[in-house]
Amino acid sequence: KGGKKKKKPSNNKPLMQTKNEHKSVVLKIIKHYQEEGQGSEVVQGVLLGLVVEDRLEITNCFPFPQHTEDDADFDEVQYQMEMMRSLRHVNIDHLHVGWYQSTYYGSFVSRALLDSQFSYQHAIEESVVLIYDPIKTAQGSLSLKAYRLTPKLMEICKEKDFTPEGLKKANIGFEHMFEEVPIVIKNSHLISVLMWELEDKSTVADKHELLNLSSSNHLEKSLQLLMDRVDDMSQDIVKYNTYSRNLSKQQQQKHQYLQRRQQENAQRQSRGEPPLPEEDITKMFKPPQPPPRMDTLLIAGQINNYCQNVKEFTSQTLGKLFMAEALQGHNN
Amino acid sequence: MSRFFATGSDSESEESSSADEITPKAPGTTFKQSLLLSDDEEDTKRVVRSAKDKRFEELTNLIKTIRNAMKIRDMAKCLEEFEQLCRAFLKSKTIVDKEGVPPFYIRLLADLEDYLNQLWEDKEGKKKMNKNNAKALSTLRQKIRKYNRDYETEIAAYKEVDWGILSQCCVFGPHSLFKVRSSCKQSLAQEGEKTSEKKKDVRKKRHKKKERLEEEAEEEGGEEAEGGWEKVKGGVPLVKEKPKMFAKGTEINTAVVVKKLNEILQARGKKGTDRAAQIELLHALAAISQENNLGQGILVKIKFNIIASLYDYNPNLAAFMKADMWKKCLDCIDELLDILFDNNNIFIGENIAEDSENLGISDQPFRVRGCILTLVERMDEEFTKIMQNTDPHSQEYVDNLKDEGRVCGIIDRLLSYLETKGSTEEICRIYLRRILHTYYKFDYKAHRRSLGLQGETKSEQDQEESEGEDSAVIMDRLCKFIYAKDRTDRIRTCAILCHIYHHALHSRWYQARDLMLMSHLQDNIQHADPPVQILYNRTMVQLGICAFRQGMIKDAHNALLDIQSSGRAKELLGQGLLMRNMQERNAEQEKIEKRRQVPFHMHINLELLECVYLVSAMLLEIPYMAAHEFDARRRMISKQFHHQLRVGERQPLLGPPESMREHVVAASKAMKMGDWRTCHSFIINEKMNSKVWDLFPETQRVREMLVRKIQEESLRTYLFTYSSVYDSISMETLSEMFELELPTVHSIISKMIINEELMASLDQPTQTVVMHRTEPTSLQNMALQLAEKLGGLVENNERVFDLKQGVYGGYFNRDQKGGYQQKQGYQRDQKGGYQQKQGGYQRGGYRNQNQSNY
Repeated sequence: KGGKKKKKPSNNKPLMQTKNEHKSVVLKIIKHYQEEGQGSEVVQGVLLGLVVEDRLEITNCFPFPQHTEDDADFDEVQYQMEMMRSLRHVNIDHLHVGWYQSTYYGSFVSRALLDSQFSYQHAIEESVVLIYDPIKTAQGSLSLKAYRLTPKLMEICKEKDFTPEGLKKANIGFEHMFEEVPIVIKNSHLISVLMWELEDKSTVADKHELLNLSSSNHLEKSLQLLMDRVDDMSQDIVKYNTYSRNLSKQQQQKHQYLQRRQQENAQRQSRGEPPLPEEDITKMFKPPQPPPRMDTLLIAGQINNYCQNVKEFTSQTLGKLFMAEALQGHNN
Repeated sequence: MSRFFATGSDSESEESSSADEITPKAPGTTFKQSLLLSDDEEDTKRVVRSAKDKRFEELTNLIKTIRNAMKIRDMAKCLEEFEQLCRAFLKSKTIVDKEGVPPFYIRLLADLEDYLNQLWEDKEGKKKMNKNNAKALSTLRQKIRKYNRDYETEIAAYKEVDWGILSQCCVFGPHSLFKVRSSCKQSLAQEGEKTSEKKKDVRKKRHKKKERLEEEAEEEGGEEAEGGWEKVKGGVPLVKEKPKMFAKGTEINTAVVVKKLNEILQARGKKGTDRAAQIELLHALAAISQENNLGQGILVKIKFNIIASLYDYNPNLAAFMKADMWKKCLDCIDELLDILFDNNNIFIGENIAEDSENLGISDQPFRVRGCILTLVERMDEEFTKIMQNTDPHSQEYVDNLKDEGRVCGIIDRLLSYLETKGSTEEICRIYLRRILHTYYKFDYKAHRRSLGLQGETKSEQDQEESEGEDSAVIMDRLCKFIYAKDRTDRIRTCAILCHIYHHALHSRWYQARDLMLMSHLQDNIQHADPPVQILYNRTMVQLGICAFRQGMIKDAHNALLDIQSSGRAKELLGQGLLMRNMQERNAEQEKIEKRRQVPFHMHINLELLECVYLVSAMLLEIPYMAAHEFDARRRMISKQFHHQLRVGERQPLLGPPESMREHVVAASKAMKMGDWRTCHSFIINEKMNSKVWDLFPETQRVREMLVRKIQEESLRTYLFTYSSVYDSISMETLSEMFELELPTVHSIISKMIINEELMASLDQPTQTVVMHRTEPTSLQNMALQLAEKLGGLVENNERVFDLKQGVYGGYFNRDQKGGYQQKQGYQRDQKGGYQQKQGGYQRGGYRNQNQSNY
């Protein structure tokens, strides 16, 4: 069996603050991406495990099969159940504790992710989503992150109130949408052995991928994506702007109307006539449809994510460049 | 007179009905059509009538129709006509206000009401009526009641009036009836001018016809004597008169012939008149007058009328003349001109009144009414119509086109005639005709002479000699006369446009351009009528093509942009209708548009036009694209060109180019890589030569110019695209690569450096270009773009904030001061831009503080 592993000592944070993961799971996810994911394509799968004290231990996983055109009637849920049942038969942890997804240059903060993570977390309270970044990993450092929705966001999603007012009331910003859960990876001895063996076999160049100095390619891609998001953001803002302008215009009109009404009634009263009947003001002035703000929030989150990525990447690269400079100076 | 033939055989009536078939007319539309036709009428006969006459005549016409309908108890017709009458009356309101309500109008109202009441009472009759009529009757009765309320006093007054006035009206009545009938088809204009004659006629005949009148009173009321009328019932054509034009023994003199002429003419335009026979009659009359030596005056008059009848032969505007008619018409005009040239003592003019004509032989010069210029103009229009209606790819077209020589000849003759006798305006008009026949023809003779070649064969040389002066000289002379003398804007505009066109056609680019700019036509051409606009479009296109031949690529592109970018070049040049507009326009519009089409031999080759445009766009756009590869704010120079490129890109499989467009796209792709040889081979090859380039008169020169341009622009593109790869590059290498002389390369690169397009410097001793590498890398470009976008984002955000603060004017003011919006190039003025931006932020902050204070 791949990995029955021990847990890391937890820090004193509340439940789900720490997540233990087994190396076998990581390897499986990487393998899944290598085999099926290409470029910006995304692969997904199910995480299995169990809760131990205040930790969530993920001990196994299996991929969602790739969808193709000809098996449109493929039942995913059925497949999952089947899979879990089979796993139970061989006595492996079969409790559903979340899902994983690969990402392309760190772009994962999307509506789809939000929705599915919400439904997971709604159904299974402790579920997490694991985000695996194959590109960063290829550059030499494993990038694996676990996220959960914050309780605040859960509330909002439950109420489905994405209007500006709703979000304002909830007082939520893009920073408070997801919480990252620290990960600890445990290896079984067998796996460690395998790793050693692999390292022995790999070429020198592979090993020093970490030291690659070229940066522009990665940065360009990131900037491109960042720019796209900024464009989206601008659009959303313009939309919101129009909305608020319309709203205020209408408010004004409403106000004027009411005033006129009052004046007229006052006149009528002075003439001894009955006041005009009250009309349904809300019907006359239908407030414009407020644009949903959740998307904007997500975009903001995504932009933040990109920025973090770029920052991280540039600081690393700068370090490398200085190192290279120093080395060169030394050689000379 | 046609009473004698009232018993005409069936075959004759068939004949007349077949004549009717030529002009099938819906009964309801006769009136309208007659109006339409009046445009078509012989212009020489036109006389300006007072608005009063015209309006009243219209009214009386309608009244007559109503009375007729009353007689046959056709209520539906009555109603229809009555509505028309009301409308017509409303139209003549101004005149009525001035003159008072005309008595005949009141009379009709009164009569109609009485009549309707009578009908209404007649229960028996009502039952017999068909549904339509009954319905119309009740509607009409209500209508007239309501309507008459406004005229109550007048009607009452009318009813009291004694019969004296009534009888007066009677005289007026039949007379106007006569008019209604004839004007069913004859033009109002002609009618009016003949009124006086007819009046006499009518009176003369009146007493003779009295008995008959009584007989027919029941049916037709004031039936008149003229034959055209009777035919409606009896179907007796005029042809029958032919055998005895004049009674035997009649002394044939001018007066008799004129009278006869008028008689014939009165039948003109009436329903059932055999037009061919009428023409024959006129010819016969001409022969008789010639036989009897009645002099040239009468002959000229008859000729005028023959030509007019020939034009009349076709019932509507859209139809064109038949070949034999056309030939006859040309012959006739030629003869007429012969007479005019031979006899110096004939005065013709449309301003000579009918009664001041002098047709008899006397010491005085002849005075004949008529306008030869109008006839010739009409002839020219007919010619255009014939050409429009002939299939341009048939032999027939070529045959018809051969007549152009004759048309031109006639115009030339008339021109020389009018130059001695005509007024300035007439000269302007005939000059314009001449210009319109000249401007689009390429003067091969002058072209060859300018090249210093002689005609290859002897016969050609002879022809050259006989042809006289260069068309350029003629154009110049005629146009300048028009510029100086013309008073109508339209003729001058047309002349200018033709002049420009002619200049452009003969590669006199600067003259053409200067003339175009000086005339300021670009500013106000949209107010001109469509044919002039079409001419303008043609001129612009020709100007563009001329600029292209001269190597002024930019000018060529600008001139062609408007026409090409719309995608409706065909329509704009009057060279065909677009299919996709078919649903939008109705048949009427389509007819009008069809009439505007330019005959095929004057067409501008659309493929050539598009090719010239695309190649110009390529030469401009490709280097521009290369220079601004990373510029987010890059503008397209030519949308159409981009469209073509995109179409090319969308092809899943790219074969060798077939069409002209594909060639240009393929060439553009090659040019993008700086590969001028491939580009050259795509632009200039067998296929393209036959499709496009061989159509130019100076093919070789144009091709050389093109190659040169391709080399130069490819060099520029190459430098833009690959300068980042080079540290330095030797000019010699470049000159070898692009097969350009060293000085040219030097000058191109210098120009690029001066314009700050290329960040480099020239190293004189080594003849190399040293790159400065100040162009940002793609990453830097990206970052700049991002910064710009973020600027926009911040700005938008500020607006939201502004709104929250309730200040509306805030950011507008700031915009003017040049905040974020002033998107100065980040590339070149980075510092400036950045500073401005900071200024914007500060201002924003400051303002916000202010706001928070209140």
